[in-house]
Amino acid sequence: MKLLVCIKQVPDMESKFKIDADGVWYDRSDLAWRMNEYDEFAVEQAVQVKEATGADLTVLCIGPEQVKETMKKALAMGCDRGVHIADDQSHRRDPYQIASLIAAFAGDKGFDLIFTGMQSQDRGSGQVGVMAAELLGLPAVTTIVGFALAGDKITVKRELEGGVKATVEATLPALVTCQLGLNTPRYPTLPNIMKAKKKELLAVAAADLSPADALLQTVKLTFPEKKGGGVFLEGDVGEVADRLIRILKEKTSVLA
Amino acid sequence: MSLGTPVFFVIAMEFTREIYWNVGHGAATLVPMYLLAIAAIAALVYGFVRRAETYKLGKPKDRFDQPLARTAAMLRDVLLQTRVLRVKGPGLAHSLFFWGFALLFVGTALIVIQADFTDLLFDVVFLKGAFYKLFSLVLDLAGLAALVTLFALLIRRWVIRPAGLLTSRDDLIMHGLLFAILLTGFFIEGARMAVTEAGNPLAAWSPVGMGLAGLVGGLGESTLLALHRGLWWFHLLLAVLFIGLIPFTKFRHILTTSANLFLANRGPVGKLATIDLENENTESFGARTVTDMSWKDIFDADACTLCKRCQDRCPAYNTDKPLSPMQVVNRIGETAFTAPDADLIETVGRDAIWSCTTCRACQDICPAAIEHVDKIVELRRNLVLMEGEFPGDEVMTAMEQIEVNGNPLGMGYAARGDWAEGLGLVDAGSSRDFDVLYFVGCYASFDKRNIAVARSFVKLCQAAGLKVGILGKDEKCCGEPARKMGNEYLYQTMAGENIGTIEASGARRIVTTCPHCYNTLTKDYRDLGLTIEVQPHPVFLSQLVAEGRLKIDAASFDCSYHDSCYLGRHNGLYGAPRQLIESAGGRIAEMEKNRDQGFCCGAGGGRILAEEKLGSRINVARVQQAAATGTSLLLANCPFCLTMFEDGVKGAGIEESLRPRDIAEVLAERLPA
Repeated sequence: MKLLVCIKQVPDMESKFKIDADGVWYDRSDLAWRMNEYDEFAVEQAVQVKEATGADLTVLCIGPEQVKETMKKALAMGCDRGVHIADDQSHRRDPYQIASLIAAFAGDKGFDLIFTGMQSQDRGSGQVGVMAAELLGLPAVTTIVGFALAGDKITVKRELEGGVKATVEATLPALVTCQLGLNTPRYPTLPNIMKAKKKELLAVAAADLSPADALLQTVKLTFPEKKGGGVFLEGDVGEVADRLIRILKEKTSVLA
Repeated sequence: MSLGTPVFFVIAMEFTREIYWNVGHGAATLVPMYLLAIAAIAALVYGFVRRAETYKLGKPKDRFDQPLARTAAMLRDVLLQTRVLRVKGPGLAHSLFFWGFALLFVGTALIVIQADFTDLLFDVVFLKGAFYKLFSLVLDLAGLAALVTLFALLIRRWVIRPAGLLTSRDDLIMHGLLFAILLTGFFIEGARMAVTEAGNPLAAWSPVGMGLAGLVGGLGESTLLALHRGLWWFHLLLAVLFIGLIPFTKFRHILTTSANLFLANRGPVGKLATIDLENENTESFGARTVTDMSWKDIFDADACTLCKRCQDRCPAYNTDKPLSPMQVVNRIGETAFTAPDADLIETVGRDAIWSCTTCRACQDICPAAIEHVDKIVELRRNLVLMEGEFPGDEVMTAMEQIEVNGNPLGMGYAARGDWAEGLGLVDAGSSRDFDVLYFVGCYASFDKRNIAVARSFVKLCQAAGLKVGILGKDEKCCGEPARKMGNEYLYQTMAGENIGTIEASGARRIVTTCPHCYNTLTKDYRDLGLTIEVQPHPVFLSQLVAEGRLKIDAASFDCSYHDSCYLGRHNGLYGAPRQLIESAGGRIAEMEKNRDQGFCCGAGGGRILAEEKLGSRINVARVQQAAATGTSLLLANCPFCLTMFEDGVKGAGIEESLRPRDIAEVLAERLPA
């Protein structure tokens, strides 16, 4: 069995963000980088399948040279080899272009199962996984929170609105996008970190995969407008209660 | 000297006594006596040779360097009982017993030397005259001291029964055998004196013997002779048994504990062994089985006397967590001797392993120089480096934050220097125009409460006319919490980056406000190449005050003072911080547990990153101890302590009456206008 897991390098969300000169994306300087959180669930699930079945697991990442650092973590978690689609402008590409790069690489490789995160923490389109599945002609199950594999069939749980869960079956090959709650990603062990340094890391230029033209154009990126913050009411309990009632009367309609 | 002497043997010229009186000095005595002695020594040697096979299961570790210094330390600690005497009561009883029993041993040896060597071969007799009088008196008093203290220890163990003291078959054998040896010795003397020294002024030099002679004197000579002879052989048998039992009972501590004092870790105090991560042949890190430990770790268990001093002081044990340093050491020993392939992590228990705050209270007080903390860290290293296991998800998250942002708090790394905005500090990355490099640490950089400490410290430096440099966003966590949690890889990654940045800055002197940073930079980083002098802020500020460069208004105020474990037990800095507080007018009301007996805040050993889920809260216990001094100000010198105390006063519901602060904050407020 052949497995593929697609990951993205994103800035740590605690970073101080600035908008770049073009006003369409964030400035990439002074940021700490890490693996997209949802992709960590994808890697963990893929590694669990690999451990259970002995499957061969490839990790794919699109981006500039620095994404190799994040790929090393996936390799240390247990992926067998890495494919780096070298692309300094990946952050400018729309989800369709990214999906087309993945599909172009995966098209003739015969992967039985493809794992992606349900969305990225920075762009958050949630489209790459499903569009890659479409381009590859595979069934896709999104936002999975449970996963089981039996033979050539997967049974996954999806999280729906209001805490309802759906159970979905699909026959391989298939693609799943992973949501928080699926698993707890492992902390790489030292021997695996050491082994990861020696694992195969193939580089493919994005241009060689002939990415499709963009379907979307980011027009403008802005910070959300500052709105009123929280108010702390402190002091004597009776007085605090009075002030709370006054606020509720003045600013809301709950007591009207 | 003739054999088969008459009953009365009185020397007219000089005081002495006939050795082997009544038992004879012929082959009938000497042959069985020496055969028994050889058997005892053979048992002793055999016992330890067998035990050594188990010690050898451990990995190599060199503890034979500096042999002279080691020997001197051992002799001091054994003969003067220095470590034992650090605890009054039982410590004094043990020491007096030791000195008494040791003198009896020496006295017996002198008798053997004279009777069977110097007198026999060279006609040299030295147990005579004034020396013999002194010899008699000293041995009598030594025996008495040994008896009394042994009795006191027996009362302690079986009547008072202090909490946590484990009593086993060994203790029964030891107390029984020692009592029997001492009592039979005295009755032999009494029987002999009743026959030979009645009315002789010499008897006064053996007061205990004289008293017993009076007691048994009425038995009649033939009974006394039979009693004496019988007791003499019985006493010999007991002595032989004692020697032979050494390796097979806790008596072994006589040799193993002494040896352990020779083998003690000679510092730097609290510096962990640096793992060679580049060695590609290493397949396993940390300790999973005893064979992953060093031979010294196994030997430590044999040197342990279960005195429970470590357990009595352990902050985890005292707040109902499943950790006893004594049990950790002994489980490792038991495993080595009974099931060397067993999984040590299961045997010791994960909760025990993760509960340690590495405060060193155990190791500092141990009379046997056992190294508890290193063993726990070795077990943690295995859990983290080989299994990716942590005490909780919050700790794993903190580790990932250190990897990504260089701090465990998850704050963006680029904001690390933001606290210093407007303070006029020098960016040590771009300018060399600074007098001292302030290694700020994660808490003083990002935590609001501790930023106040950093700002106070800078204010003090600037008042003393110093230009302070910081590394800003290029500074990373020193790696200490990660290292103590077992994450050696992450520690070395952080250390490597910091050392590169510090060296590139051209700094000649580093000052810290975090004792964890201080201990790590000044000790652990040495293995990785840092050579620059590092000072903790209380020492640095004391010097500025002493040099007259820093003037502090000395209006008096009351406070208590908490010795952080990493300035205190790890670096012995008890005086400088106190002097600094006093120079600012502080009157310190000491907590019951202070200086080397200080009680940890609960945050060491990487526990600052972990939730305290087991037992009661350590920080609450400590702030209550501070509140008991009756002062309303608790001074600290460590950001972890301060964080724990701020939390602790809330947990204890005393935030109105006790305010935790760093020394630097109080000083900065007292700068003359």
